Amino acid sequence: MNQKVNDAFSNCHPFLNFFYFTVVLLFTMFNQHPVFLAISYVSAVTYAVLLHGLKKTLKQMFLLTGPGLLVVTLLNPLFNHYGVTMLYYVEASGNWITLEALVYGLVLGAVMFIIIQWFSCYNSVMTTDKFVYLFGRVIPALSLVLSMALRFVPRFTEQLGKIRNGQKAMGRDIANGNVLKRAKHGMNILSILVTWALENAIETSDSMRSRGYGLRGRTAFSIYRYTTRDRWLTVIMTGLFAVFAVGCAGGAAYAVYDPQIELAGLTVQGRQAAVSCGTLPAIATYVAFALFCFLPVLLHAAERWALHNRKKTVGTDIGLTYRKIYEELEQERTCS
Amino acid sequence: MNIVEIRNFSFSYPEQQKKALKQMNLDIEEGTLNVICGRSGCGKSTLLRQMKTVLAPHGETEGKILYKGIPLAELDHRTQSQEIGFVMQNPDNQIVTDKVWHELAFGLESLGYDSPTIRLRVAEMASYFGIHQWFYRDVKELSGGQKQLLNLAAIMAMHPSLLILDEPTSQLDPIAASDFLETVKKINRDIGTTVILTEHRLQDIIPFADHVFVMDQGELLTEGEPGEIGMELKKRQHGMFLSMPVPMQIYGAVDSDLQCPLTVSEGRIWMQKYLEEHPAGNMYSQDDNRENMHHNQETGSTKEKKKKEKPVIEVKDVWFRYEKDSPDVVRDLSFQVKKGEFYALVGGNGTGKSTTLSLLSRIRAPYRGRICLEGKDIRKFSDGELYNGYLGVLPQNPQSLFLKKTVLEDLYSVIGGKKERRSQEYPIAMQKEKAIEGIVSLTRLEGLLERHPYDLSGGEQQRLALAKVLLLRPKILLMDEPTKGMDAEYKEELGKILRKLQQHGITVFMISHDVEFVAEYADRVGLFFEGNIVTSNETRAFFAGNSFYTTAANRMARQFFPEAVTGKDVVRCLMNKN
Repeated sequence: MNQKVNDAFSNCHPFLNFFYFTVVLLFTMFNQHPVFLAISYVSAVTYAVLLHGLKKTLKQMFLLTGPGLLVVTLLNPLFNHYGVTMLYYVEASGNWITLEALVYGLVLGAVMFIIIQWFSCYNSVMTTDKFVYLFGRVIPALSLVLSMALRFVPRFTEQLGKIRNGQKAMGRDIANGNVLKRAKHGMNILSILVTWALENAIETSDSMRSRGYGLRGRTAFSIYRYTTRDRWLTVIMTGLFAVFAVGCAGGAAYAVYDPQIELAGLTVQGRQAAVSCGTLPAIATYVAFALFCFLPVLLHAAERWALHNRKKTVGTDIGLTYRKIYEELEQERTCS
Repeated sequence: MNIVEIRNFSFSYPEQQKKALKQMNLDIEEGTLNVICGRSGCGKSTLLRQMKTVLAPHGETEGKILYKGIPLAELDHRTQSQEIGFVMQNPDNQIVTDKVWHELAFGLESLGYDSPTIRLRVAEMASYFGIHQWFYRDVKELSGGQKQLLNLAAIMAMHPSLLILDEPTSQLDPIAASDFLETVKKINRDIGTTVILTEHRLQDIIPFADHVFVMDQGELLTEGEPGEIGMELKKRQHGMFLSMPVPMQIYGAVDSDLQCPLTVSEGRIWMQKYLEEHPAGNMYSQDDNRENMHHNQETGSTKEKKKKEKPVIEVKDVWFRYEKDSPDVVRDLSFQVKKGEFYALVGGNGTGKSTTLSLLSRIRAPYRGRICLEGKDIRKFSDGELYNGYLGVLPQNPQSLFLKKTVLEDLYSVIGGKKERRSQEYPIAMQKEKAIEGIVSLTRLEGLLERHPYDLSGGEQQRLALAKVLLLRPKILLMDEPTKGMDAEYKEELGKILRKLQQHGITVFMISHDVEFVAEYADRVGLFFEGNIVTSNETRAFFAGNSFYTTAANRMARQFFPEAVTGKDVVRCLMNKN
């Protein structure tokens, strides 16, 4: 889970990470407009490639999410028969396969697909300590509890391994003997583990108390800092969010697939959606959403560019400075 | 000025007649490094915990403890948390959170500091202790030594003026332990924090102590500067010498009026002077050495006879790795252990010693090569055959074997309960009671049978675990660092038990960091490095051949008596001379 990633957006304040993913996920989940989904899809895949590399992303796409998408797309028209555009008559059940149901299945499948893609990015960016930090702000006691839990789980697993090895070497692992014996061995191992945990927890609590746990006015320290860049990003993100939120409220994300396909801002089968939102505001909404979704990728590109540039300027500047120094020294030498 | 003053202090645990501490009187001067030593169970830990009231065990107290002139009981929790730091034995148990940086900040968070202050303090401590390289890591990724260093740093971040350490290095390997003690010295020197410390590994810390207190049975036996302590104990002929550094032990056993040596280099100078004073015997000592060697050869020849027997453990070209793509941990390893032999494997951390042990105990299997026990491939044994009456494995952590509420019940659980009924675990005709009685007297658990296994001391826990393993009547005993965290006396007891087993033809294989123990008891020693045994030899020849990886006694005496490996050897050489 806690993969080490070093992209620009992961280094931003956890609050921004969380805000970004919440907005993107919510807008993908409750939105069935193809333009939104397309934008969301492309940005999710691009970001995933950035975080995990091309190979892993493609593998995930073709082996896991791709087939899932196909299944949902094909299943929906088999069970739902609404819509006005008949495509094919199934004699066995006496039902029509409709274009609307097929398209809606595709949209549903795509939503699922994109959400999975986003969550794979979320997992790499929102590491557990960021999560702990964010929730610690809301409920300070919770952050310590979470942190302690995260410490205990690997410790337990490790100790369980040691106990099992000890028992294995006495021929009493859960893999030894018949079913009854195995069950007994399992219970024994569990009992040893629990006793161990309780006995050792006393020392942990000693260590906590000796470092002043339980005093009034405990604070919560975090390593995250709200930098100037974070401030700028907050402004930009809220601005973009406001634009497309207003757009969506105005109907830019209006999409209906039953009985006919009607999409805001687009003309489908010669019909326009019956919403007040015109083409221009709709386009503005799409652009704002696209910018928002691509923010991590853009940020990454910007950082790369800045790094690249810095190298170039530093190289030339210092080179020039030193050449000047050498020339001066040479002049001085020739003069004297 | 005295930072701690203990006046007529007595303490007894509830429902116990015997006092754990009797009329203690001691002063700790500010800014000094103090070492308290004594046998296990002499009341060291009890005393230390009394100096930190939140950790003090329940019981009856008399007298008083003053901290900077104020009775400790009147000091509030906040001041005490901040000013008195306490580091315990087990590095893992003391760590509360999952991240290194969070652990460093834990105490400061409790005290309610704001983020900028905490950031500064944490940064300071991380750089001082060299933690910055692993600052963002998960605690679970750290080694034992790093964990204990983190515990120390987390306490130092609160800027205590008194630092109490209760056997802080008992769970660490020798290198990590001396690093840790080095850091403690540095803190005392650079920051001027007063340090009170108890320790088994006295040779690393006693030479640098300002003041040493020796305790025995809840009383203060003697106190003073380290050199004085040596003289004093020598005068009294007290048994405490056993746990003192080797140069002091040797000094204590030999008749000499010179200054007491504390370190190996001082010991060497002392020996030089001593031998100049008593020059007559040099020849004899040579003879004695020759005699010793002769003796060795003799035992060697008897062993040659044994060579014709099949080796009990035979490892042949064994290779092992954990994952498909990970590097090899054990590489082309081959060795043999003969019947009734005590073979010890020494070597640094992470070289694959423990992995080798797990291969021998069939917890893991090599991907190439063979392991044979008495000529039979280990894979061909059934579980029942192998683990009942053949192979006994003593894990590093004895607590991972404890199952029941009392020692007695725990012992019975190994052989299938109290009912007299033959089973796979207990196929012999002996009464179970007799077997338990026998094992209890062998491992000296008498008087502890009704105790809870977790209430035993480290050495006693280790012996209980050994008893449990021995109840399955193994022919071969495999042990993973059985002397970890034990004091000199317990080691001696363990050594005696192992000798006894060996005399009855039981083969002992042990991996260890404890060079002194190995030198004293093992027959043959192998040095493990990078997945392979670099050199393997009879114990004496092994240590005499190494210049760095050898005992303190050998390092001290090698110029004069290269064959002398243990402290006792050196003493014998010196005594015979006169």
